[in-house]
Amino acid sequence: MPTSSPPGRRARVLSPGTSRPSSEAREELRRRLLELIEGNRVMIFSKSYCPHSARVKELFSSLGVDYNILELDQVDDGANVQEMLSEITNQKTVPNIFVNKVHMGGCDRTFQAHQSGLLQKILQEESAYEYDLIVIGGGSGGLSCAKEAAILGRKVMVLDFVVPSPRGTSWGLGGTCVNVGCIPKKLMHQAALLGQALRDSRKFGWEYSQQVKHNWETMTEAIQNHIGSLNWGYRLSLRERGVTYVNSYGEFVEHHTVKATNRKGQETYYTSANFVIATGERPRYLGIPGDKEFCITSDDLFSLPYCPGKTLVVGASYVALECAGFLAGLGLDVTVMVRSILLRGFDQEVAEKVGSYMQQHGVKFLRKFVPVMVQQLEKGSPGKLKVTAKSTEGPETIEGVYNTVLLAIGRDSCTRNIGLEKIGVRINEKNGKIPVNDVEQTNVPYVYAVGDVLEGKPELTPVAIQAGKLLARRLHGASSEKCDYFSIPTTVFTPLEYGCCGLSEEKATELYMKENLEVYHTLFWPLEWTVAGRDNNTCYAKIICNKLDQDRVIGFHVLGPNAGEITQGFAAAMKCGLTKQLLDETIGIHPTCGEVFTTLEITKSSGLAVTQQGC
Amino acid sequence: MAAYQEVCVCGFEEFNQAVEQHEGKRIFALFVGSKDAEGNSWCPLCTQAEPVIREGLKRASQECVFIYCQVGDKPYWRDPNNDFRKKLNVTSVPTLLKYGTPKKLVDAECRQANLVEMLFCED
Repeated sequence: MPTSSPPGRRARVLSPGTSRPSSEAREELRRRLLELIEGNRVMIFSKSYCPHSARVKELFSSLGVDYNILELDQVDDGANVQEMLSEITNQKTVPNIFVNKVHMGGCDRTFQAHQSGLLQKILQEESAYEYDLIVIGGGSGGLSCAKEAAILGRKVMVLDFVVPSPRGTSWGLGGTCVNVGCIPKKLMHQAALLGQALRDSRKFGWEYSQQVKHNWETMTEAIQNHIGSLNWGYRLSLRERGVTYVNSYGEFVEHHTVKATNRKGQETYYTSANFVIATGERPRYLGIPGDKEFCITSDDLFSLPYCPGKTLVVGASYVALECAGFLAGLGLDVTVMVRSILLRGFDQEVAEKVGSYMQQHGVKFLRKFVPVMVQQLEKGSPGKLKVTAKSTEGPETIEGVYNTVLLAIGRDSCTRNIGLEKIGVRINEKNGKIPVNDVEQTNVPYVYAVGDVLEGKPELTPVAIQAGKLLARRLHGASSEKCDYFSIPTTVFTPLEYGCCGLSEEKATELYMKENLEVYHTLFWPLEWTVAGRDNNTCYAKIICNKLDQDRVIGFHVLGPNAGEITQGFAAAMKCGLTKQLLDETIGIHPTCGEVFTTLEITKSSGLAVTQQGC
Repeated sequence: MAAYQEVCVCGFEEFNQAVEQHEGKRIFALFVGSKDAEGNSWCPLCTQAEPVIREGLKRASQECVFIYCQVGDKPYWRDPNNDFRKKLNVTSVPTLLKYGTPKKLVDAECRQANLVEMLFCED
């Protein structure tokens, strides 16, 4: 059955705006065409009205052979494609046919090859490679891509290996999100929220005499058990789909070939037509004395076999604030050491409110300091560590003693030790990330990348999953859909949750100019917080509208309980082109926090106060 | 191919006793609907899965104990408060699991030889 661009929608091989191709665009086009030629058993470049093309299609159909077609009269840059094909094959006409990457020629030559038996011979030829696809990295992006490719009938391998952290921590299949990221983080955040709920419960009439304490080991064991079932679930789902999973460290040794080294040091080599790099990132260290020996990171925290005790969290990323947040919520003494701003890249007004809430609830902040040395005062589980830190603004030095120091200053891509230089895959030397085009292809045509390693793309699980799935579908002819990286929602699960979609106020101002924006905002008091006696005038809602485009909502920000759940719906609305008017026409659900977005009135430009009264 | 010791039990109490007796060893357990006087189980999927599992067991890579546990009759099993459901989180038969780990196969998974093999083999 032929696969081609869907009818009624003019496809492009290249992105729009490239009618006269630059040399970069030509390089792109060549890469794309080679991808089509290498990725399909039979590839026919044709024109829908051409009778010779029709004959060739009939021939393959009669042989019962699947083929992929690109109709050059149905793509906007068909002329460019035809020219590039002529460069590649020395043939100016269509149909231009490839079988198992071999250039057959046009209609006549293909029919001749059929008559002489040559065509059948080429059709039958075994692939030069053992696998159709090898995915390096079994995380959100890698597994999604591998599974989809297997569903489409390809021979797929996943190589996943966790290099133990400096503290010796390791984990099973599933990547960062499942093992040392989103999943355990949200569960520990929930543990902390339940602690808060217990405190609130007395105001709602619950009476109990037991002193409420938290047991770290009980929580961690339960969370690790759940993670274990997820690891197992992934192994099952790979096996069920016939994906070969190998628990080995993969690195390129030459074109189309990887070396896989297992825990025992045994090496095996595998070849594949295509590769996907999905190796993700690992926490960065400070590069100061004592950091690797005595400090832990998020890699270690979620399976720490003992309660961390009095903790210093270094960093101001969402990882730092989320961890500091739930540790404090579980009753621990927590300090956060911040070099400059909180939540870089996020809306700073909301970021400061996030920090402010944490501070009001007992988290100590040491702003504008960086650690310069960590020493061990006492061994133990936990032990005692002395941290010396320097001010970023002057000569001041401070010291503190903590049971645990958690470093959360950023993550580095795992791209430096996987042999990319051996096959010429370009990376950004500064941060190790891999630049790709809009179909996740690296500069080497048969090598792709998904997930956190990508340059300039949001480091989020759902993004990696979507990109991985669509990549597999495009590689194996089933679709031409690209991943849409625009307006991706996310939530920071700090004690007061922050959900957002679209632009921060700073970014919107930079792109559109303040006078073209209208910012609506309000503080709000969740109903459940009233009886519980919790903070009034703390939760916050803000939308940023583009006056030049019908007050289109281009930025959505909510600071309050269940921010993630609230934001998800509004993200879908924004994808549909939400405007302020549509928002106003939407009737709120009462009593909820989300409804506050349907009655936003006060603008920043009016200068009016936003403190809440009543209801 | 490794040696395995089979222990046959009926019901939750006997199962727990068997686990205690073999504490410290590698334990695999198969939970099936109980067999009647003629040796037929009320659970057809269990009947289909058993030969696949026994075949996989022969290929276990390391020594282990295999507990074959008949859970009880159908009405007992259907009771949402039965001990297997409440205390062991075994909510369907057949269930094949490696005791003390998250490794588990349920229902139709139990008759897929490749999945059964994966469960019996050590990482």
